[in-house]
Amino acid sequence: MLTIETRALTRRFNGFTAVDGLSFGVEEGEIFGLLGPNGAGKTTTLRLLSCLISPTSGGATVGGLDVLKDQSAIRKSIGILTESPSLYERLTAVENLEFFARAYGMSDRGAISQRIREVLEFFQLWERRQDKVATFSKGMKQKLALARALVHKPPILLLDEPTSGLDPEASKLIRDMVGRLGNLESRTIILSTHRLEDAEKLCRRVMIIDRGVSRVMGTVDDLRRKMGAVPRIEITLASASPAYAGALKRVEGVEGVEAAGGGLRLSVATKDTDGTAPRVIATLIGAGAAVREARIALPSLEEAYLSLIKEAGQ
Amino acid sequence: MRLERAMLVYNKDWLEMKRNWQIVAPILIVPLIMTVILPLILFLVPSILGTSGFNVPQSLLDRLPPNLSQEIAGMGPLQSMIYIFAVYFFAPFFLIIPLMASSVLASDSFAGEKDRKTIEALLATPIEDSEMLLGKILVSFIPSILVTFLAFAAYAVVVNVAAFSLFDGRILLPNLLWLILIFGVTPCVALAGIGVTVIVSTRVKGFREAQQISALLVLPILLLIFGEIAGALFFGPTMLALLIVVFAVVDVVVFWVGMKLFRREEIIAKHS
Repeated sequence: MLTIETRALTRRFNGFTAVDGLSFGVEEGEIFGLLGPNGAGKTTTLRLLSCLISPTSGGATVGGLDVLKDQSAIRKSIGILTESPSLYERLTAVENLEFFARAYGMSDRGAISQRIREVLEFFQLWERRQDKVATFSKGMKQKLALARALVHKPPILLLDEPTSGLDPEASKLIRDMVGRLGNLESRTIILSTHRLEDAEKLCRRVMIIDRGVSRVMGTVDDLRRKMGAVPRIEITLASASPAYAGALKRVEGVEGVEAAGGGLRLSVATKDTDGTAPRVIATLIGAGAAVREARIALPSLEEAYLSLIKEAGQ
Repeated sequence: MRLERAMLVYNKDWLEMKRNWQIVAPILIVPLIMTVILPLILFLVPSILGTSGFNVPQSLLDRLPPNLSQEIAGMGPLQSMIYIFAVYFFAPFFLIIPLMASSVLASDSFAGEKDRKTIEALLATPIEDSEMLLGKILVSFIPSILVTFLAFAAYAVVVNVAAFSLFDGRILLPNLLWLILIFGVTPCVALAGIGVTVIVSTRVKGFREAQQISALLVLPILLLIFGEIAGALFFGPTMLALLIVVFAVVDVVVFWVGMKLFRREEIIAKHS
């Protein structure tokens, strides 16, 4: 069942098309990645889905509700992490969360306190709960902003660049937490990011957008394949021989062989790594090679992404 | 529209603002000047320079409304002058207090949130437009009107104490006109001015722009003051009742216009 669905979603600003005919669906409980460079239209897409702005044409449903007709109900059902943390710096962590819990319709004082404790403990901020946000580090602010997005237990989360501007350690922490969130309370998450690492580690499916247009969509593995990047079997040998590469080229399923390190390292391109790898190893052993190591290397999403963006630029 | 949701915005903003001296200071400084310094100048200058040279100009006396002329009949020149200024001419200045005290608060309402990049999370909440607008108006209105009431109390004390010996122990303030002005006209005028400033705040890019535009709102009040000094207007019961009715209507119109002009999309666009 699709929790979020867009149909030719389009948004123009004074002649500039920020989002151009996007159509995609996100299943319940899925973490869906919206991947693209800065200015690709990711933030505009999230603003359209959170009813902060309206589409110029096309439409979308969020939790079965129409973004044009049911704006208030949609706002209640989503938690949003905006581009900047959007926190009140003169208020404490608890005061910030209390305000947003009530703004999203929570009214029971005990339930609010309980929920605030849960999210602050989850994000390891409980000890700093009475400190003003102005005293927090950037990473802590981002964690608190995520806590704010979650405080009213929304079934849908829209996260705009959750690791942007953070150092690698803080990025990893946030990424791990978002990953854990996906497993909790059956949340549907759309994650906008220009960091391939985030998409690769967190998302089941991603859509790459550039200049408002969807370039490609599918699982991370699908994307690698669709964009022509071929998986490889990387082999390290104890001794080199030109005969080994020649033998491998004749193996069924092998699309190409590259030798490096004076012939000690062989890189075998194949679309079917699982089927081809045993035949490759058997062929090498049959040819008298001593195989030290063999591993399957999937092409990085980064490689695929960069080639796609470059292609789009041309 | 639910009042408790508007009060939620109010409470959040007030909590934030009272921790910011840049915002709190103007609320206190303007009333202090109006309520303590102005009357003190009025009473101290004649006592320092001597009272012999102080005569109310005949042209001013000619323009006074008949009932005021009756009130000062029999008073000496210094008494007349102090009475006219302290009990009559200074009254409309109290219309300015809530406007000036609230100008920072009201300008900051939405524009400040844009500057501090907190507006997007606020607009993403299910709080309705009317609730958000009312909450922002109230957070400027309530403190500034309370300060005005306190300023009036302080002004009355200062005037009565300073005038005690000069008027043989007579209590000058409060009188009926001042009570109508402070508790009737001033809240209505303040609400209209604050409403306009909050609307401006939704439609500009930042706090400074909002404050520059909102400063113009004092001009109509200054016209009232000059009109009164020039004898063109008299703040009598009829005039004050008329002002209450007119500004009550203006308040409703301003809120209605505010609702019509409130577009989350435009606020976000100005923020981005």
